[in-house]
Amino acid sequence: MSVREPLLQVDGLTVEFATLRHRLKVLEDVSLTVHPGEIVGLVGESGSGKSVTAMSVMGLLPDIAGVASGSIGFDGTELTGLSRKAMREMRGRDMAMIFQEPMTSLNPVHTVSFQIGEVLVEHFGASPAQAHAKAVELMAAVGIPDAARRALDYPHQLSGGMRQRVMIAMAMACQPKLLLADEPTTALDVTIQAQILDLMRSLRDQFNMAILMITHDLGVIAQMAERVVVMYAGQVVEEGTAAQIFDRPAHPYTRLLIRSIPSARHKSARLDAIPGSTPSAHAFPQGCRFHPRCPEAVDRCRTETQALHGLPEGRSSRCWRSLEALQDTVAAS
Amino acid sequence: MRQVPVIGPIRRGLQSDFALRFRRSRNAMIGSVLVSIVLVVAIFAPWLAPYDYEQINMLAIWRPPGGEHLLGTDALGRDVFSRILIGARVSLTVAGSVLAITLTIGVTLGMIAGYFGGWAETIIMRTVDIIFAFPELILAILVAAVLGTGTTTVIIALSLVWWPGIARLTRSLVLSLREEMFVDAAIASGTRSWRILLRHLLPNIASPIIVRASVGVGFIIMAEATLSFLGIGVQEPTPTWGGMIRDGLAALRTDPHLALFTSLALAITIIGFNLLGDGLRDLLDPKVRDQ
Amino acid sequence: MTMALLEVQDLTKEFVVERSLLGAQRATLRAVHNVSFKMAPGETLGIVGESGCGKTTLGRLILRLLDPTGGSIRFDGQDITHLSLRQMRGLRQDIQVVFQDPYSSLNPRLTVRAIIGEPLSNFGFSTAEITRRVGEVMEVVGLQPDTMDRNPHAFSGGQRQRIGIARALALRPKLIVCDEAVSALDVSIQAQILNLLADIQQEFGLTLLFISHNLGVIRHVSHRIAVMYLGEIVELATERDLFENPLHPYTRALISAVPEADIHERTERVPLDGEIPSPVNPPPGCPFHTRCPIARPRCGSDLPDYREWSPRRMVRCHFPGEALPTFAETATERALP
Repeated sequence: MSVREPLLQVDGLTVEFATLRHRLKVLEDVSLTVHPGEIVGLVGESGSGKSVTAMSVMGLLPDIAGVASGSIGFDGTELTGLSRKAMREMRGRDMAMIFQEPMTSLNPVHTVSFQIGEVLVEHFGASPAQAHAKAVELMAAVGIPDAARRALDYPHQLSGGMRQRVMIAMAMACQPKLLLADEPTTALDVTIQAQILDLMRSLRDQFNMAILMITHDLGVIAQMAERVVVMYAGQVVEEGTAAQIFDRPAHPYTRLLIRSIPSARHKSARLDAIPGSTPSAHAFPQGCRFHPRCPEAVDRCRTETQALHGLPEGRSSRCWRSLEALQDTVAAS
Repeated sequence: MRQVPVIGPIRRGLQSDFALRFRRSRNAMIGSVLVSIVLVVAIFAPWLAPYDYEQINMLAIWRPPGGEHLLGTDALGRDVFSRILIGARVSLTVAGSVLAITLTIGVTLGMIAGYFGGWAETIIMRTVDIIFAFPELILAILVAAVLGTGTTTVIIALSLVWWPGIARLTRSLVLSLREEMFVDAAIASGTRSWRILLRHLLPNIASPIIVRASVGVGFIIMAEATLSFLGIGVQEPTPTWGGMIRDGLAALRTDPHLALFTSLALAITIIGFNLLGDGLRDLLDPKVRDQ
Repeated sequence: MTMALLEVQDLTKEFVVERSLLGAQRATLRAVHNVSFKMAPGETLGIVGESGCGKTTLGRLILRLLDPTGGSIRFDGQDITHLSLRQMRGLRQDIQVVFQDPYSSLNPRLTVRAIIGEPLSNFGFSTAEITRRVGEVMEVVGLQPDTMDRNPHAFSGGQRQRIGIARALALRPKLIVCDEAVSALDVSIQAQILNLLADIQQEFGLTLLFISHNLGVIRHVSHRIAVMYLGEIVELATERDLFENPLHPYTRALISAVPEADIHERTERVPLDGEIPSPVNPPPGCPFHTRCPIARPRCGSDLPDYREWSPRRMVRCHFPGEALPTFAETATERALP
C-alpha cells in the first residue's frame, strides 16, 4: 500500500433520516478512502446505502437527512461542517458527480453547450463565448461526434449514451480531482455502456482524476475498479483490492453475491442464490446484519454486533470469521 | 431500471398513516370541521330552527339582529336565522343530487372513453367539448328557460354543465392507468373488460375524483345560489341562500343584516369544502405525500 | 420432430408515430420486422437485444396485447393472428405472462388472493377452489399461503415477482412469456427467481419465451437464443453455438461488451462505434451496417436473407463468421481524446 495522502477519506460516517414516525440510521460507521487517480468501486444492492454515501460526500443529502457522526475529509478540508456556499464552490470545481439518469440531470430548456459552459462561468468567470468554445472542446474530448453542431442541441435531441457523455463533459469542465459516478451506465445498453466505461478510464489516465464508481453491477466493478468497497444494509462489510475481493472474498455476502451472477462466459447449471431479501432501514437485524441470510451464521453472529476490522494484506471485513475463511482458501489452493 | 425508494414511510399501517397525516394537515382539519358543521345544520335544520321559516309576521319586518330574532328578520318578518338553516338543507340537497348524477354519468362515460377509445371516445369527448364551449351559467339559464323554474330544473341544469368536467378528468386518469402493467396482466389473464373497469380501474381513480367532488360541492352551491339569485332557481317560499342574498341586496343600505349573514353562511360553506378538497388532494397525491 | 407449440412467421408490427392533420400516416416506426421462429414444447427461447430492438413488442404481439401489422402467429396448431380480444379469452389459459416491474404489474388495491385468483375466477372456478389453488401455487413459488390476504405493498420486490409468477402459473398454462422478468431485481434476488423459474419449468413442463437485455441471464435460462437488432432477428442458435461461436458481427460485439464479474476476464472487446439508428427511419440494406466493423458496400444496399446456416441455426448476414477486429487491435488507430 502506498503512503500517499488520500484524496477522500470518509471515517465512521453515520447518517440519519427523519421520517414521519422514525429516525432511521441509513448509514452506520461507513469508512472509505479514495487516493488521487484511483478508481474505487462502491458496490451494493438497493438499500445498502451506497447512494446515500455518495450524496453525503457531495453535500447533497435531502433536508430530512443529517450526518449524526463521523467525518468526510476531502483534499485536506473537512466537509461535514462546511457552509452551503463553501460546499457549492467545492462541487463542480474539485469534485463532480454524474448520475444514472442523464435526462433528468440536464435542464431541458437550455442547449448542452450552455449547460456545460455554465460551470466555467460560475467557477472561473469565463465569458459566454469562451465558455461555448470550451464546451465544444470538452464535447469533442468525450467522444461526441460533430461536437460544434451538437453543442447547440437540446438534451431531448440526444440519445441516452450521448447525454451521459454530455454529463461527463460537464463534470470534466473544471477538471475535478474526484468524480463520483452513481450508476452511470445502468440505464444504458451494454454496447453503449462499454463505450462510456472506456471513456471514463481514459479520462482518469489523462487527468489523474480519481473516480468513485457507485453501482450494483459487479461486472462493471470488476472491469473498472482497482479497489472495491462492498456495502450491505447501511454498512461497509468488506474492503480490499479488486483482486482480493473477486478472487478471495473474505465476507460471506461478497462471496455469495459474486456467485449469484449468471455469467455470459459459461453456462451455469444452477445459481447460488442468497435466500431472503435485503433488509430495509426500518428493521436492520441485530448482530451481524447479514446473519438472517447467511448460510454460515452461528449464534455469535446473531447476538454480537460486528465491527469492520483489518485483515492481512491491507484488506478489511466485517465478518469475524473472515481470517479463518481466508486461511482455508489459501490452504485449499 | 425502476428506482425503488431506499427510504420510504413504513408500508404496513397505511390507514393509520393517513389518519396521522390528516391530523397534521391544517387545511383538511379546518375544512372537515366546517363541512361537518354545515352537514349537521342541514340535517337537523327543522329541529334547530327557532322559528317556522315560512311564518310571516308583518308586524316585525326588518328587525335588526339581536333580541327575539338572533339574526333579525326579512321584508316579510321571517326569521333570518331559521331561513339560513333551512337554506343550508336546500343547498346541500341540490349539491348532493348534482354530485350523484354527474359522478355516475361523468365517471361511466369517462371510463368508457378512456378505456375503449375509438368511436365511443370520439362521440363522448366531442359532446364534452361542445358543452365546454358554452359559458356554464348561460347554459343553465337556457335549460331553466326550457324546463321552467324549480328545484328539479336547478339539479338538471347544473348536472348538465358539471358532468363533462368529471368525464374529462376520469378519461385522463384512465388513460394514464392504462399504461400500468397490471391492466395488461389482467387482459392477459382473460379478464373481461367490464371487470377490468370495475375492479382494476375504478378503485385506482377514486381518490382524485373524491378530491374533485369535494372541491366541486363549493362550486355547485355557488352556482345554485347564482341561479336562485337570478330568480330561475328554487322558488319561494323555500328559502335559498341565493334568493335571500338577492332580497337582502335590495335593502342593503338600510338593513344589511340579511345579505350579510346569508353571504357569510355561503362563504363558510364554500371555504369549508374547498379546504377539505385541497387537504384531501395533498393527502392523497402520492407526489406530495412522500415528501 | 414434435409439433411446434408456437410458430411465428414473418411477424411485423409498425406503429404510426405521426399523423398529418387529415389523418394520413406521415411516419411509421418499424418495431418488429419479418420475425420468424418456432418453439418446441418444454423449451426456453431467449430473446435478447438492446433497447428499441423490438423484443418487448414481440412479446406483446405473441400475447396479443397488440395487433400485428403483418405475418402470422400459430399457437398449438391454431392461427391466433387475428383473433379478437373476446376470442383470445379462451386461449389465455394457455398463454400467460410475467412482467418486468413487480410494482406496476400488481394492482395495489387488491389482495394477493384476488391477484393470483383473478385468472381462476375468470375461468369459472368456485371461491373455495380458488382459495385452495391460490394456496397451492403460492407454495410452489415459495410464498406462505397464510399471507394471501395482504396487499402487494406488504411484500418485497422479490416476493412481488413471486406473486406475479404465481398469477401466471395459476391456470397451468403451456407458454409463459417472461418480459424482463428479473431485470428490476437485485442480483441476490434475481438468482432466486431464476432458480424458481427453472424449477417450475421442470415441474410443469412449461415452455418459456424469455425476453431480456441481460446476456448472462439469457445464457443461463435459454436452450435457444434469438438476437434482435432494430426489429429483426439477426441470429438464432442454441445457447452453446451462440455464445461459443457467434456468427453475426452484432452478436459478437454484444457478447464482447458484457462486463464480466471476474477480473481475469478483462474483455477483448469488439469496438462498436455509434448508436442504434432510429426505428422510424431504419437504414437501407442490413440494419446493422452503419455500426458493423466488417460492413462492405453491399451491406448498405441489400438486406441479407434470414438463412439457415446449419440445422437449427439461422443468421441474417452477408458475411457470417468473418473475423472481427478487437479493441486492442484498433486502439492504436483510434487516437484517444
